[in-house]
Amino acid sequence: MSRIPVIAAVGATPVASEHRGCNPRDLMTEAVLDCLADAGMDDLSAVEQGLASYESDHFNLQMTLGAILHDTIGMIPKPNVRIEGGGATGAMALRTAWAYIQSGLCDSILVYGCEKNGRGVSSRTANQLFALSADVDWEMMVGGSYTGFYAAMIRAHMEAFGTREEQFAHVAARNRHNAGFNPIAQKPMDISVADVMNSRPVAEPYKLFDCSLLSDGAACLLLATEEWARRRCPAFDGRAPVYFVATGCGSDTMRLGDRYPEITNFRAKQMAAAQAYAMANISDPMREIDVAELYDSYSGVEIQAVEDLGFVERGQGGASVAGGAFDLDGELPVNTSGGLLGRGAPVGATGILQAIEVAQQLWATVDPRRQVANARRALTDTHAGIASISVVNIFERRD
Amino acid sequence: MMGKVRSKIDIRLPESATAGDVWAQFRQVERITMELTQSYKYSLGKVSRFFIALENRRFLATRCPRCGKVYAPPRPLCPNCLSVTDWVELSGQGVVKTYSVLHFSPGSNDDVRALETPYVLAYVLLDGADTLFPHLLKAPPEQVRSGMRVAVAFSDEPVSHPIHLMYFVPIRGQ
Repeated sequence: MSRIPVIAAVGATPVASEHRGCNPRDLMTEAVLDCLADAGMDDLSAVEQGLASYESDHFNLQMTLGAILHDTIGMIPKPNVRIEGGGATGAMALRTAWAYIQSGLCDSILVYGCEKNGRGVSSRTANQLFALSADVDWEMMVGGSYTGFYAAMIRAHMEAFGTREEQFAHVAARNRHNAGFNPIAQKPMDISVADVMNSRPVAEPYKLFDCSLLSDGAACLLLATEEWARRRCPAFDGRAPVYFVATGCGSDTMRLGDRYPEITNFRAKQMAAAQAYAMANISDPMREIDVAELYDSYSGVEIQAVEDLGFVERGQGGASVAGGAFDLDGELPVNTSGGLLGRGAPVGATGILQAIEVAQQLWATVDPRRQVANARRALTDTHAGIASISVVNIFERRD
Repeated sequence: MMGKVRSKIDIRLPESATAGDVWAQFRQVERITMELTQSYKYSLGKVSRFFIALENRRFLATRCPRCGKVYAPPRPLCPNCLSVTDWVELSGQGVVKTYSVLHFSPGSNDDVRALETPYVLAYVLLDGADTLFPHLLKAPPEQVRSGMRVAVAFSDEPVSHPIHLMYFVPIRGQ
């Protein structure tokens, strides 16, 4: 029987600016109980392996959090591993779990991720902690921040291709609108392109509403062979099987300046997509993918992503996004969950939340107002830093 | 409110339990302040010479002896060839390739906390280099353009991080 992993069950907490009553282990507990309910399972005794997905010892104020989470959810004494890859952590965790299953190391693995990036610290502290994930000596200490690095990159894109602020404001408005149909979203808003344009500048050309959210939250996903899922997961037979068919990963220099003259787009994303498309036999992603979650850490990043993922030609991202191609009623709906801009981004859970959104799209179980009709194949795009690491995962419904 | 706990911020009592709330007995929430202050003996490592040269108002880069690529900021190892690089001195003049105007400061160190916002983070291709150098461009934001010529200026004031011994300024008369 095939070892291509299936998504057996999923679970998540609501994403919030502050889960005041939960520390990381409490968040994880709630997401795991949600996953158990989704699976129709009473406990995790049948699950063979755990995989902890979180980024920051600083935000969580705890090292070896993976061991604590594993203990908290009753996985002792089974094997455990922690995966960290910056913003790409959750997607890299799933990619690692994919390899654990494909290799035969186990038939079932619970991927559990959480992060407390919300109001536990001030915005300034949050920016400092995130800036520690830049090159400390050369980027952070001069006064740089990720908003600034992304802003310099989208400016280069604007100057090379004529991309306009109104075009990425469309992303900021649309993703927050989509979040209104997602019950776990942090900050649904109905705002206009003009509202985005008029919000206060943060790092020009990015303004407040172009920036994604700082969030608390947790998510988990039970990945298994189909045989294991049919035997152990009562809910599995009740819905169409969703396979995790392909995964790709690419990398790039830490500092934007070292990429010169390639500073408008994400080379790592292009490579991750090429690998994943080859594995999934995809040659025309715009037509062959039905729904996608893209890493909209800033609104303009989605414009760069649709180019780097090969949905449109380079330089066409701005016009195609603003033209509605990626809206809920567009050719390829993206960020139906609300994305990082509207649903929120608890880092270690973010990539898992993206996979959960596309799995539920493929199962056709999301709110009808954001449900993409007849979705068969879905993509998640997740990256670290300014795409120093990029992961693309592809999922298919086969029934 | 504080009671016996000096760091206590607040305690929230549970609202009336809703039916079916499995956490009904766990809805009391206490928050406290936790502080963690660290200080490091932080080595600037193999690129220390760059920072030492700034004290002498000189701007250094490194060059790969095999492929000839010039790195500013310096790299001790060429990632293309895995050759150990050589130090070279640059004029410190260059051109802005892209930039951002930052309206908030992450306050990464005392030098950054002293900056007035908005300030300009510029990516500069120095004459003779192949990579972009990110640093502050001290100029009115509305006068900054990609393509403008800039030069390294050296600080005469003591700084906390030696990267602030330099910054960029526009070259006059353009």
